[in-house]
Amino acid sequence: MSFISFWFASIPVSALPLLLACLGLILSERSGVVNLGAEGYMAVGAMSGASVTLLTGSPWLGVGAGVLAGCCLGLLFAFSVAVLKADQILSGLAVMAIGLGLSGFIGRHWVHQPFNGMTAPDLPGLQQLPLLGGLLFKQPLLAWVSILLVIVIAWTLHRTRIGLRFTAVGEDPAAADNAGISVPGVQMLAGMLCGALCGLGGAYLSVASAHIWVDNMVAGRGWIALALVVFARWRPGRALIGALLFGAVDMLLPRLQAQGLQVPVYLMGMLPYLLTILVLVLATRSRYRDEPAALGVTYLRQDRH
Amino acid sequence: MAFQFALQRRANTSFLRSSLTFSGGLLLGLLLCVALLIQAGVPADMLFDDLVWQVFFQADGLAQTLTLSIPLILAGLSAALALRVKFWNIGIEGQLWLGAIAAMAVSIYGVGSDSYRWALMLVAAMAGGTLWIAVPLWLKERFHASELVVTLLLSNVAFQLMLHLLFGAWRDPTQSFPISPAISEPERLLKLGFGNLHTGLFASIGMVFLVMWIMERSRLGFQSRILGSNRQVAEASGIAVGTTLVVMVLLSGAMAGLAGGLLVAGTEYRLTQHLGWNMTFSGIVIAFIARFRPFWVLPVAVVLAGVYNAGATLKVFYGLTEATVLLMQGIVLLSLLWCQFIAAFSIDRRQEVSV
Repeated sequence: MSFISFWFASIPVSALPLLLACLGLILSERSGVVNLGAEGYMAVGAMSGASVTLLTGSPWLGVGAGVLAGCCLGLLFAFSVAVLKADQILSGLAVMAIGLGLSGFIGRHWVHQPFNGMTAPDLPGLQQLPLLGGLLFKQPLLAWVSILLVIVIAWTLHRTRIGLRFTAVGEDPAAADNAGISVPGVQMLAGMLCGALCGLGGAYLSVASAHIWVDNMVAGRGWIALALVVFARWRPGRALIGALLFGAVDMLLPRLQAQGLQVPVYLMGMLPYLLTILVLVLATRSRYRDEPAALGVTYLRQDRH
Repeated sequence: MAFQFALQRRANTSFLRSSLTFSGGLLLGLLLCVALLIQAGVPADMLFDDLVWQVFFQADGLAQTLTLSIPLILAGLSAALALRVKFWNIGIEGQLWLGAIAAMAVSIYGVGSDSYRWALMLVAAMAGGTLWIAVPLWLKERFHASELVVTLLLSNVAFQLMLHLLFGAWRDPTQSFPISPAISEPERLLKLGFGNLHTGLFASIGMVFLVMWIMERSRLGFQSRILGSNRQVAEASGIAVGTTLVVMVLLSGAMAGLAGGLLVAGTEYRLTQHLGWNMTFSGIVIAFIARFRPFWVLPVAVVLAGVYNAGATLKVFYGLTEATVLLMQGIVLLSLLWCQFIAAFSIDRRQEVSV
């Protein structure tokens, strides 16, 4: 019993940074832009979060800094693809390298310094609930902010004018352009939001769960988030489910080890990646093709026909 | 809008314009890197000495640079081959690791005889890399799974596989670090008597000319060019799209695998965790700066090897981490991408394009 409740309680640590990055990528891809910078945004988010928390002592300021840093880098990418019409994949890779590089370059002053990050608020009665007590009530407030963001983004995408504009640009930029929507404008906004959400995911890693910044902290999560977008079929609600499932698999291994079980650690470590590939294949095989029609296409007004 | 303008795609960019924008972008990126290093506390008068003189014009430095360039050349070729047919191979590291593991396996299990085992190791390395790229290729063609994500995820799987071996069956019990035992003397590639430089350099250069011939002289290369620019046209004109794609992509994996094999047989003499650091991104940067031309991969890879070599100095003397070299590559790539705007588009201010 305690095994399951401990396991459940550890899932958000792995799932929520992924979820946040995935939400950002959904926004970007909904507006037709493949964004490979996620790994870089998360890295600068994690590094800025840790350094500002160390400087000011305030985890919330740290999280704000992480969001801002991700947003700035996202803007760099969005400018590249939406205004200068550069190749989306190469621009994404370049921004990823800049993000990872900057986080190591600036972060060398803050590396390996533990700090007082965010902790779970004290809810004595609720935390002791069997099975779900830890999962639901032993989480920092930022966890609840993340869940709230899922709802806000889902609602915005499906129920508001700006959300429809995102979808319109991703499905048919020429038609959106004819209808008076600024395609570069929407893609710039999406790029900034994507960077900001990935930055928040990175800050979650350092400020809300690890309480330290180390090099290579993001460790490929940005790429898994990219695969998760396909699994989620570009929907925020399904991204939550996907991230929780992934987190559950990811956290099973450390729990088994804590139980003293002899497991082939590194072979088990392949599981999340293999599972993601399987899910990717199944998701792209399904009859529903939810991929935005103009995903990855560079739109130029003169190409309309 | 206060003023109206329209982007026009240039139909024919003059050679002068494209080469000027390209060198302008390169120069801008390099200047930004220099500014970054000066800001980080590297004395300006030491820059030339550290970044150019020591790594290209001093015997020790040049030997080390050329040794580092061996896998980088192959990574650049790997990226150029795959990108020619628009296959986004973001898993060069994974193929390199599989190549290294395969080469090490040949040595550990003592396949064949001592006299030619080094050759078997290199062949196994190429096979390992090929196998590791065949999976995403199959998943892409059969299930339309994005090769971009699958190649990358498979890199992580390969890394875990290597850790599994290094912490388990292949661990050298006499070492405190998780590394494999060293390969025996006859399995090692010959040294050229110039620092640690070994005959692997000839293998890399040979591959440059082989790939050059394939991409620029052979029928396959011609077909791959059409396939890369427009698959529908390629299919409609009766080109064997499947064969072309498969050969080019598998070759890409083989090059990355060979890089891993050469690292094991020529440089490290064993399997370690640090073989493939950053090879994917470096390969793509090299291929891009070389404009996807195999011949130019060679000088670009040597220059980047020099930067990596200088990076080691920066680390020791100025406390800059490896991330600095990654940052510099990112800056140069983005700067080149931005400057291409000038070559690719003209801005027409006078009129709105009519629909």
